[in-house]
Amino acid sequence: MTRRLWALFRKELRTLFASPIAYIVLTAFVALTGVYFFQHLLTYNRLLFVFQSEAIGAGGFDAGTVPLQVNSLNELFIPASNDFSLFLLAVLPLVTMRVFAEERAHGTDELLLTTSIRPWEVALAKHLSTYVFVFLMLAVSAIYPAAVVAKSRLGMEHLLALYMGQLGYGVAVAAIGLACSSLTQSQIVAAVLAYAIPFMILDFTWLHPVLSEGIAELLNELALQSHFDSFARGVIELRRGIYFGGIVALGFTISVGSMEFTRAR
Amino acid sequence: MRFLAAAGLVTILSGLGAYYATDELSLFSIANLVVGPLLLLIAGVIEARRFQGFTGALSRRVALRWGLISAAVLAVGLAATLVSRRWDATLDLTAERRYTLSDQSRVVCKQIGTNRSADRNGAPPQLLLLKDTLIAKEVRLLIKAYQRTCPELEVREIRTADAPPEAQAILDAVEVTVLACQGGRCEPAGFPSEENITNAVLRLSRRREIQIHFLVGHGEANFASQGKHGFAGLAGALREEGLHLEALVGPAMEEIPASASVLVIAGAERNLLPAELEALERYLERGGRLLALLEPGVSTNLEPLLGRWGFELPSGVMADRASSPLLEDPKPVSLLLRAYNPFHPVTRKLSNRTMLLLPSARPILPVRKPQAGDALEALVFSNRSAWLETDVVAALADRPITPDPEEQIGQELPLAAAGRYPRDDGEARIVIIGDRDFASNRLLPALYNRDLLLNAVLWLAADEEHISIRPKAWTPDQDPLTFQQTLAYFYFLAFALPEILLLLGIHAWYRQRGG
Repeated sequence: MTRRLWALFRKELRTLFASPIAYIVLTAFVALTGVYFFQHLLTYNRLLFVFQSEAIGAGGFDAGTVPLQVNSLNELFIPASNDFSLFLLAVLPLVTMRVFAEERAHGTDELLLTTSIRPWEVALAKHLSTYVFVFLMLAVSAIYPAAVVAKSRLGMEHLLALYMGQLGYGVAVAAIGLACSSLTQSQIVAAVLAYAIPFMILDFTWLHPVLSEGIAELLNELALQSHFDSFARGVIELRRGIYFGGIVALGFTISVGSMEFTRAR
Repeated sequence: MRFLAAAGLVTILSGLGAYYATDELSLFSIANLVVGPLLLLIAGVIEARRFQGFTGALSRRVALRWGLISAAVLAVGLAATLVSRRWDATLDLTAERRYTLSDQSRVVCKQIGTNRSADRNGAPPQLLLLKDTLIAKEVRLLIKAYQRTCPELEVREIRTADAPPEAQAILDAVEVTVLACQGGRCEPAGFPSEENITNAVLRLSRRREIQIHFLVGHGEANFASQGKHGFAGLAGALREEGLHLEALVGPAMEEIPASASVLVIAGAERNLLPAELEALERYLERGGRLLALLEPGVSTNLEPLLGRWGFELPSGVMADRASSPLLEDPKPVSLLLRAYNPFHPVTRKLSNRTMLLLPSARPILPVRKPQAGDALEALVFSNRSAWLETDVVAALADRPITPDPEEQIGQELPLAAAGRYPRDDGEARIVIIGDRDFASNRLLPALYNRDLLLNAVLWLAADEEHISIRPKAWTPDQDPLTFQQTLAYFYFLAFALPEILLLLGIHAWYRQRGG
């Protein structure tokens, strides 16, 4: 079984990297994260310069004093992390849309399901290969932040925590995309759904004015956005892992269920 | 149907988009967010009516089974997410372990627990996070650490408008994010670092008033000076812990007040008047507490008095070949110390990983018990590579010095010592530290200087239960990259790397077409 799963996983990875879309998505993500990180870095450096400047000090600020709130974490890594999460939301559906839907459209999934391979094995291979792609995307985009951290006092462990949050978030968004892709044979429908669902559960603060505080707080616990702030601050919380794990489990179950249904038809 | 579904999605996304963009739930957003789900619902109903996907009983059973399994996974996931709000397993990966409470916070929490056991009717201290303040989000993780580590403390998140009436005066005067309140009193935490929050709780929960009197009039340290050689930092640190400070003008005093929990003589440079010495002697005889900071190369008539209480104070200054690289101007007399008396309350919590930085120090030898029953102990020792340099002038003037044959290396001489003297009127206590400037504004925050000094004061004031290692002040990362470095990274990541990836993509595309 493990050998079969490994073979399926390798096949999925090969398929992914045989198509130019994976490289385009990787390129877009790395370029976007690079440009935005650079912009935040420039702004942060300018801010430090303003506060550290003796001339400005004479004009009113305490000379050479930078407020505690102005630091690389608050001004650089947290805003960049928020941007990266939006970029993940923007590019991942482009990868996940074809994973199941393409095979369904071509009818190759039915061919696969007539063999001794079980649907959950196919679904697992597809999910794992997509998660590996998410990991790869984040690993490549981490080069710039890692270079900055190497010259600062933030610590690589802190950066690791930040990227653990991004990975959990990315994998959850990918799982939603894969579930959507498994439900339809149209890649466009899969992509639209994969954009719409994470966007809708991104944040429920828009409902707060019409909800009681307790319910609003409860809904906040279910929002994607509220689950990676602590990672960015260098703390890994088990409950955040449970949240992302829950989404992945649900996405996987829907994918398997959809394949089982296809086989039963 | 598909049009209705697509229209529903677009409408919902427009509603959300408008909300996120304006941060306001406008009529436009509300209308879209009501109409969108309705359209989706209608599309779903039409699709359900048209649905002819079940080709037999098997497919119906499979659809039902997996529908139920998915619903169960969703329910379990939701329940686990909501229940896990109460779970508190966290891993703090910040470089300074900002969200792991220090020894001091744990000690304060333990003390609150002890106080509550003794006074069961008293209300528990509360830690209030004002969640509508600007930096509340940043502080939440720290507040959670208190919630986790300190069950004795009632931790709540409230809106500023819901703050207790006793906090209103504070809120009107200063910008506050965290408040500690108990029994109708509130203390602000200033910038909400662990140090400030714990000190606010400490000030609130301290049961006994401790008065620290500073002797002035003989060239002692200036506790009002904010300069780098001033001692305002020490005064502030003592006040932060809830201790009360008062200056005592030596030449004008007749008697040291009985209310003085501790008398501090911080580096007197001139002799005390005979009447002052007599008053000091009387104060100690009736169970007074004295902290004396002595500077190398400075000799006063305080030394014979301390000699009568069992201390020998050789002239000279300790020098060390491994001088401190942490100082701006490293000298052989600058000392990095890490050898402590592990049994004395003042130094029990210090270890060879918690070092002191003394710019220059003289030895303090506890040699003789004035009476049977007295106890004298060394607290801090010099390193093995140190020697007692007798040419104090040359050493302090930073002229080259080397150990003479009679100046033995490796004696590990005490540089701070403490004595306890049980007397009929109470137990006198003395702590002498062979340096004054290690407590100056420049060096007090360095390494564990502050802990040695504050723990000595607390021991003298018989407040041993609060002796602890305090959280290190958080130093935010504020080092900019040079523009050249920034640009080099930018070219690599925003251009070179995407270029390589794109070329790989083109290669994959051609290969696919060729295949």
